[in-house]
Amino acid sequence: MKTAKTISFIKKHYFEISLALPLFLYLVLFTYAPVMQVIAMSFDKSGSRPGFVFGFHHYHLIFGHFQFAKAFFNTVFIAVCGLFLELALGLYVAVQLNKRIKFRGMIRSLYILPLGIPTIVAAANMRYIFDTNGFLNSLLMKLNMITLPVDWGGGGFVTLFAVVVADMWKVTPLVMLVLLAGLQNIPEDVYEAARMDGAGPWQTFRHITLPLLKPSITMAVVIRGIDSFRIFELPLVLAGKAEPVLGTFVYAEYHEALNPYTSAAASVILLLLILFCVAAYLSLTGTKDVSYP
Amino acid sequence: MKTNRILPAIFLYGSLGLILLFTCIPIYLMVKIAFADPGAFMNDQAFEFTFEHLKAVFLSGNLWPALRKSFTVACATAFLSTLIAAPGAYVLAKIPGRTGYFFLMAIFFTRMFPEVGIALPISLNVARLGLFDTDAGLVLAHLIRVLPLVAWVLIGTFKSLPKDIEEAGRMDGCSKAQVLWRIVLPVARPGIMVGLIFGFLNSWDEFIYAAYLSLMNKTLPLTVFYYVNRGGWFLSSMYALIVTIPVLFFTYFFQRYLQSGYLSGAVKG
Repeated sequence: MKTAKTISFIKKHYFEISLALPLFLYLVLFTYAPVMQVIAMSFDKSGSRPGFVFGFHHYHLIFGHFQFAKAFFNTVFIAVCGLFLELALGLYVAVQLNKRIKFRGMIRSLYILPLGIPTIVAAANMRYIFDTNGFLNSLLMKLNMITLPVDWGGGGFVTLFAVVVADMWKVTPLVMLVLLAGLQNIPEDVYEAARMDGAGPWQTFRHITLPLLKPSITMAVVIRGIDSFRIFELPLVLAGKAEPVLGTFVYAEYHEALNPYTSAAASVILLLLILFCVAAYLSLTGTKDVSYP
Repeated sequence: MKTNRILPAIFLYGSLGLILLFTCIPIYLMVKIAFADPGAFMNDQAFEFTFEHLKAVFLSGNLWPALRKSFTVACATAFLSTLIAAPGAYVLAKIPGRTGYFFLMAIFFTRMFPEVGIALPISLNVARLGLFDTDAGLVLAHLIRVLPLVAWVLIGTFKSLPKDIEEAGRMDGCSKAQVLWRIVLPVARPGIMVGLIFGFLNSWDEFIYAAYLSLMNKTLPLTVFYYVNRGGWFLSSMYALIVTIPVLFFTYFFQRYLQSGYLSGAVKG
């Protein structure tokens, strides 16, 4: 009975199915299958020998690795700090650009310039600023704020700071655009009604703008959050070995330690971290569906 | 009374000015270093303009192979991704309710997978196929990243098209294929252009798959990374400028069309 139904469905919709099939075959074969392969590799105790032996060997290895805990902490720190600052700054600029201020078009065009800069180029540009003899150090020296150059790439808080600043530079314009589109969808009469009821600017923002903007904020947080956990080029160039993140840790395990299995285990941890954070955020904010634009 | 108005204005334009300064300085530095006379620049003297680095890059022999590979791969990725994603997106845009949502999520979900994780088995598989360090191998990998983005943009396009034109076409006796080819695709052409541009841009500046799949034949972003790591500012900034120019060009001239794509998160950081 069920197969008969399926066959008649296929007969009726064979045109649509044949249109959509290449896309889904590609996704299954070249995205979902490799992910399964990575997960299998991470649990394969036998390593490069033939056959599959289940075990947590590679996980033991990376948990014992002196840089793994640091990479994990750095990833979370950069994602959370970066996301918070990007949202705050993006929201500020979006609210200003939503008003009828002078030079609005010009400010907007200039502000979204970083969208047109490839990430690796952004990393290179930030290197000219955060180098030991870079722009920022010479500026701070001229202002007499420091006497010795700061070693931005040497590790510790200053390195994480440099990565967060670089990420903010590249990504805040995108967050701003998403929030600005959300702001422009809020009808004018809602604000008018609030003004009639005697609400001040802060009250209007807190009780009207923010709640109505929630779908856009969720969208920005989910999309940007995922990408900020996967951050790679900026820490690779700016932090190198001193402050690894999970992305660069995975890369170094394969390209330098030449161990694809620990690399696979670390990328599975990164995947779990992303899934956990997205699920936690969506359940905390009570969002049922990721809104489709 | 008047100071009440002036102070907020100063604060507003002051803060926006500072933010714009922060936005523009890195780009300004890149352009400046790329054309700076090394002697004057190193000794903190006034800026002196020179084409020295441009000449060095053009004559070094590292530019043309990388430029050719990046360009070929980006064009092929843009073309193939639109060719595969457009029909799929057309169908997906028509599936209603939970089923449609399930397929949308199947596409969205791929964004959550870390690329460093997918690149590892992909590089092993591509090597097995004998495509390691080739253009075709990299196109195969870039499609993984680009297909979901292009599909995502195109679903939006097809959803926004009016339904009546298709029904009218069917009434007039067109087959499903004719409706798609003669009616839907011409109307959807702007969206498809956006898909092509996104496909090109997202392949052009891709770094991770290229790093996993290249050895001798580097792409432009890998060349930038090579020079940044070597420590020479002048060459790295010139290469960085060369990678940036096409992206800036597209982003600026097609801003209006690309907006929807940006908003649906079709750009990766």
